[in-house]
Amino acid sequence: MMGGAWRRLKSDRYGMTGLFIVIVFSMVAVCVWSGLLGQGWSDVSGNRWESVSTTHWFGTNLLGQDILQRTLFGTATAFEVGLLVTFCSTLLGTVMGALAGWYSHGWLDEVILWLKGVLDSIPFYLFAAAVAFALQGIPWAMHLAMIITFWTTTARIIRGEVMRIKQREFIEAARAIGLPSIKIIFRHVLPNTFHVLLVQASIVFVAAINTEVILSFLGLGIQDGVSWGLMLAESSQEVLAGHFGNFVAAGTSLFVLLMGFNLLADALQDALDSRRATA
Amino acid sequence: MSCHALKVNDLSVWFETDSGRRQVVDHISFSINAGESTGLVGESGCGKTMTALAILGLLPTSGVGVSAASIEINGKDISSLNAAQRRAVLGRDIAMIFQQPGTALDPVFTIGHQISAVYRRHFGGSKKHLWQIMLDSLEAVGFSRAEKIASAYPHQLSGGMRQLAMIAMATVCNPVVIIADESTTALDNSTKSLILKQLERLQLQHKTAILLISHDLAMVRQSCRNVLVMYCGRLLERTDCQSLYSHAQHPYSAGLLSCIPQVSANRPPRISAIPGQVPSATDLPSGCHFAPRCIRVKPQCQQSVPHFDSEDDRAVACFRPLS
Amino acid sequence: MSVPYITSRLLYGIPLMLGVTFISFLLMVHFGPDKTYELIGKNPTEEQINEVRQSLGYDQPFLLRYGNYVKELLTLDLGLSDSSGEPVSSILIKTLPISLALVLPGFVLGNLLGMALGLLAAWYRGKWLDKLVMSASVVGMSVSFLVIIISLQILLCTPYGLNLFPVRGWQVHGLGSYFYYVTVPTLALVLVTLGYNTRFYRAIMADEIERDHIRTLRAYGAGPAELLFKHVLKNSLIPVLTRIMFSVPFVVVSGSLLLESYFGIPGIGLVTFNAITSGDQPILKAVVGLTGVLFVLALTINDMLYSVVDPRVSKS
Repeated sequence: MMGGAWRRLKSDRYGMTGLFIVIVFSMVAVCVWSGLLGQGWSDVSGNRWESVSTTHWFGTNLLGQDILQRTLFGTATAFEVGLLVTFCSTLLGTVMGALAGWYSHGWLDEVILWLKGVLDSIPFYLFAAAVAFALQGIPWAMHLAMIITFWTTTARIIRGEVMRIKQREFIEAARAIGLPSIKIIFRHVLPNTFHVLLVQASIVFVAAINTEVILSFLGLGIQDGVSWGLMLAESSQEVLAGHFGNFVAAGTSLFVLLMGFNLLADALQDALDSRRATA
Repeated sequence: MSCHALKVNDLSVWFETDSGRRQVVDHISFSINAGESTGLVGESGCGKTMTALAILGLLPTSGVGVSAASIEINGKDISSLNAAQRRAVLGRDIAMIFQQPGTALDPVFTIGHQISAVYRRHFGGSKKHLWQIMLDSLEAVGFSRAEKIASAYPHQLSGGMRQLAMIAMATVCNPVVIIADESTTALDNSTKSLILKQLERLQLQHKTAILLISHDLAMVRQSCRNVLVMYCGRLLERTDCQSLYSHAQHPYSAGLLSCIPQVSANRPPRISAIPGQVPSATDLPSGCHFAPRCIRVKPQCQQSVPHFDSEDDRAVACFRPLS
Repeated sequence: MSVPYITSRLLYGIPLMLGVTFISFLLMVHFGPDKTYELIGKNPTEEQINEVRQSLGYDQPFLLRYGNYVKELLTLDLGLSDSSGEPVSSILIKTLPISLALVLPGFVLGNLLGMALGLLAAWYRGKWLDKLVMSASVVGMSVSFLVIIISLQILLCTPYGLNLFPVRGWQVHGLGSYFYYVTVPTLALVLVTLGYNTRFYRAIMADEIERDHIRTLRAYGAGPAELLFKHVLKNSLIPVLTRIMFSVPFVVVSGSLLLESYFGIPGIGLVTFNAITSGDQPILKAVVGLTGVLFVLALTINDMLYSVVDPRVSKS
């Protein structure tokens, strides 16, 4: 099944463009992490608001820091936030969704659904603000807020999938020979939800990066380092004075990466849709 | 008899797929007279429903190709009409009754609203007039408390009642032709005969021509005068019901008949079932499509397609028909 | 719609409301910052500390404090703001109309445009128009809210662009000044929601167009206008209503939070933003708790609306 999906993905021009974009950006992020790029993000290397030049490709900011360096470092921040939030919320969502789906209509299911209902009832940015408020001074408040709210969608999808897979014959067979539930869920049920998880994870990734920007603007974002969100927040005053460096650099990078992920997510959804594969 | 109620001339339907054309209806022609009912039989997937949808022009425009020399209703060709002109004909001159009474009606409008909307679309009229016409058509199909049915939503009625309401909708404009596509398949036996009785009444009282699409030969025998046998998009035999049951000419027709238990008792024992499977529409055998499954196959059958004379009352597309 | 049905929906909402208020209580009050040391002078005695803690209610048992919080929300007696000393409820009542006036035009327009584009794309499914609309919506989904706001501001509010509208502020005295201040935020809200809305509406409408009863209608001569605007729209009302109900808190609260703090518009969003930055707990706990409760209420009403819209849902 995965082979066919890869073949379908390869023949999707938009999907491959998306994949290419994502790979380029993640390579930049890896280079930043390994100390090859963007290390001068906090150095004051010029005067304030220098315009575009060969030494400062995107000019400098208010403090005279090089915008290119900051943009590159911001790529790593975006991936840090994206990967951490996506991994944790997907893990949490999968476990909760699997439990709810396996014990569907039992008390555990009811509790998980109630928790999901409660979390979905608080508008997200407000919830993030509340978490940040409660955890003042803790640098991971933003990540935590995203994880706590993003898992619910994944859980809902996995719950549905598990309830569907549970009806299938090979699961009935596994139950009949007396395998413990936990083993069946993790060995036989969850691997069959992989394709759904992949699509959902790429959607969460987009949401996480998007949210970081908004929260950073509101002052609830990352506490140290630099991110595209912080750069855009800086730029909101600068553009009125005609300094577009921060805005163009961060805005474009953000747009291209999100576009790449959106294209990839769409293509993955098409390629992994088993109904379409048989049609 | 000046002209046929429905005359289909050289109708073809195909799907455009990545692997090329998939012919699902292959140059078929037939006609039905006013007040007559004709059965169109064949295994599922042989192109019966596609034929019906193509006659009404309801197939999607992308990925599907339709061609026809002409499709005439009372001598008027509807195949060359533009979309707006065709809409004026649909429901007024030709109506269709679908297979699934559960989903064919809009769940959020009342039965009465949906029936009177059909009449209003074609003839207009005051609210009161429309309401009366609608009640009349409900009463005509046998509802004694038409008012109550009219104000009900589809989910409040049983499958059989919904199908009767569907017949009322089909007949509210008194069309020339009604196509009933597997209209009784989803229903139980007693409801089935109720529906068939209604179709018979239309045929007698209103001289409506009926094309009854079904895989159920026994039912077709009970309610149709003529029968068309279809296989892999082609017509194989056209005859009146009595002759088909007493002596089918095409080996496929004979094979189909043998699958009905009470009929097979009268059949010669040499044909008891049709061996093999229906070929997929992507790789149809050349020559006669039935040749690979036919017990009377000759080399000629695999090379050329036997001619089917659509003008004749009795026709068969076979080089070695059973006599 | 029967009385037992209404009651059952209301009862169903109660655990959700308890959950929502409990979570905001935990975050805002229980884990929230301890204000004792802000209120007392240097080198306090044990007695002074206890006195302050008592006046803040910190010495009471957990459940009692939660109960008090719920009571505050229910009676709308929400205490005084830390920063301005004004009663929280009067701040909210004063600012809510501004937020609604700011956000509603964009919300309505975004949904109407999305519905129109989605309907168009679904009707021409697979054709070039569909592909164009869908590609444009992916582009729209990829632009951050902040980038949209800043771009619009450059284009419409600065001498680098058309310079037609104010950079920030909200001096509304009549219809003319209302349009003057609301246009740019509205455009931003429409642009940021349009991509998501269009995709959503297209998916819903495309499903509806494929349904059997639409084929029946076509077989009986119904034209595109009757199909789309009468039957497809009415049948898709349930998912559409749900969508609108679910997105009201998102757009009104989150949208106003960002738009108002960006454009300096004195609505609930700005009040919340200022409360976040200054740590104004009474305002925050009121806003979070009340939005949650209102959202659950909206969901309950939504469930009841189902049975009005769709005859199949009632009494089951």
